[in-house]
Amino acid sequence: MGYRFEFSNLIGEWDALWSITRGRQVHMSDSVIDVRGLCKRYPPNITAVDDISFSIERGRIYSILGPNGAGKTTTVEILEGLRVPTSGEVTVLGSDALRNYGHIRKKVGVLPQNFEPFDLLTPFEAVKYWSDLFDIPKTRIDIDRLLDEVGLSDRKKVMSKKLSGGEKRKLGIALSMVNDPELLFLDEPTTGLDPKARRDLWELIEKAKKRGATIVLTTHYLDEVEKLADDVAIMFNGKILVSGSPGELVSRYGSKTSIVLRGVGSAGMRELSCRGISSTEKNGDVTVSVSNPSELRAMFAKLSSIPIDIEEIYTRRDTLEDVFLNLVGAKMDEGVLQK
Amino acid sequence: MNRILSDALSFGRQYIRTKVGAFFTFIFPLLLIMLFGAVFSGGDGGGISLHVQNMDDGPYSVALMDALNSTGYFEIHLIDRSSDIQEYISENSLSIAAFIPSNFTASILIDTHIDVILYLDHSKSSSQIAAGVFQAVIAQMNYDLSGSESIIGFATQNPGSDELTPYDFFLPGFVGLTVMITAMYFMTSMCAEYRSRGYFKLLATTGLKKSDWLVSKFLFNSVLLIASLLVTFAVAMLVFDLNAVLTPLSLILVIGGAFLFTSLGMLLGTIVKDPESGSAISNAIGFPMMFLSGSFWDLDSMPEYMQMISKAMPLTYLNDGLRDTMIFGNETSALVNLAIIVLMGMVFFVLASRLMSWKEK
Repeated sequence: MGYRFEFSNLIGEWDALWSITRGRQVHMSDSVIDVRGLCKRYPPNITAVDDISFSIERGRIYSILGPNGAGKTTTVEILEGLRVPTSGEVTVLGSDALRNYGHIRKKVGVLPQNFEPFDLLTPFEAVKYWSDLFDIPKTRIDIDRLLDEVGLSDRKKVMSKKLSGGEKRKLGIALSMVNDPELLFLDEPTTGLDPKARRDLWELIEKAKKRGATIVLTTHYLDEVEKLADDVAIMFNGKILVSGSPGELVSRYGSKTSIVLRGVGSAGMRELSCRGISSTEKNGDVTVSVSNPSELRAMFAKLSSIPIDIEEIYTRRDTLEDVFLNLVGAKMDEGVLQK
Repeated sequence: MNRILSDALSFGRQYIRTKVGAFFTFIFPLLLIMLFGAVFSGGDGGGISLHVQNMDDGPYSVALMDALNSTGYFEIHLIDRSSDIQEYISENSLSIAAFIPSNFTASILIDTHIDVILYLDHSKSSSQIAAGVFQAVIAQMNYDLSGSESIIGFATQNPGSDELTPYDFFLPGFVGLTVMITAMYFMTSMCAEYRSRGYFKLLATTGLKKSDWLVSKFLFNSVLLIASLLVTFAVAMLVFDLNAVLTPLSLILVIGGAFLFTSLGMLLGTIVKDPESGSAISNAIGFPMMFLSGSFWDLDSMPEYMQMISKAMPLTYLNDGLRDTMIFGNETSALVNLAIIVLMGMVFFVLASRLMSWKEK
């Protein structure tokens, strides 16, 4: 296998070198996306993205988590070269994404938010059409293989308008992968789908990662992030509140481990309070937080000895949902904050 | 090029599968020809320009022209005596003209029958009533001259192809109309759909350029509309016994029209946000053009200010060009119309390319 010269590669590397000479930090080896001071404002005074900076490492699934209107889609559309920022620097695959997107386009796959396929094309025809648009010749076997990979081989001759919601998203993923992208943007790929369809798509996303793609995944599903993401940025009101791996965020921003006393109600909570134990009560269940894991066993024993009626006693670790609640002050349901 | 062809093929596949599109391209023009041909076979009303070549120097020819002028129906224009009237009619694509022979006054003075020749395009909706008015003027003059005896007569000749019918008049007009509807309406509504369903954004993530996309739509519309012209012409030949001629220039004019209206549709598509506004803006532009560009009736029969407005309508030049080449055989005038069509198309294409954005601001 010899080296295949591509003019676009030359431009990309020159651009990276130029960036370095201008003082910008470009991580050619491990950073696929580098964002510095990104802002997007709309007149008269709406700030969709408010001075955010982050880097995404090669081969990882980076999730941007946040409610509707947080600025997730605006951010990824800037990274996809589909939207112009007000200010900031964006480097994608070593190139200045605000000026030279043309020559990295072939290395990027995109599944936009609310993806709708062309109603009157079959999945087979759509994949053929899309690969032609990328100037990537695909044989019938190549197309069949890709459709098989996303689980659409049985539906390849069905008009797209007759596909289910989950099948349409699978087709969207197939289209986003026709160019075997190094970088894949998936903007809320499972929104509105039933649990089975969501799990099917999760499998596809994991497969894409195994093929070596770096994936930027926006979502408002916490379970999706916990299942898929290597790194997550929680975005709210145009700002990135925190970022890191889901485990790190739980450790840093969660309230550690809790002991839950089921069914003890407010009377039980008063009993605990009399003994100097602080707790919270919700729906008759009382929760006692334990900040240091070494105190867990002692606290468990202490609570068990209190003479109150307990239906059940168990421990639970904080999840990303608790982190989100702690940081944003509200839970999220289908992207909508529940105050 | 592969991208453009692939986009055109993919678009064509979807177009054919929308049965409404195929109806408007292939069936609609035939229905219109049938309907309007039947309705207007009996003629209609309105004042028109009458070009007269008067070879006579006597007072009776002057009296005849005064009488024609006084009807208020004809607006008289004199044709130079040195001109060949047949060529003049062809060059100017006239549907009606009169020839007064040099011995007109002399014949009347010696009570000898003399014919005025009325060149009349029977295919025009206005021609029957024009002939009727002309005949009434002659009858009145005969009555003034001799009571009941007919000294002055008139013979009609067809200025272009033999025995043209209203169907011949309507065929080019409805071919032009089909070009406009297929290319402009469809492109505008497609732009609206592409924008509202996020297809433009989706296409922007591929290697397809805006100009590639515009060219592919023009190519597709050209092929489709040439097919439509051929089918319409073939069926009309069989069913309506046409005399209009399918010329190479008529095919080029259809391609020019496809370019013009595809570009105009895209230009309109740059300002539409959703299918509803797409439909509204297409109708706002398309309906006046349908009625003021000579698809349904002869522009000569419209008031002068309406004729001025029709000059601003791109469809006028396509209809005129198609009639010039298909009915009158006036290739020079058809080429002038083609040049105007291409020029307008280029302006619209450049504007559409610059104003259309697949990205968000």
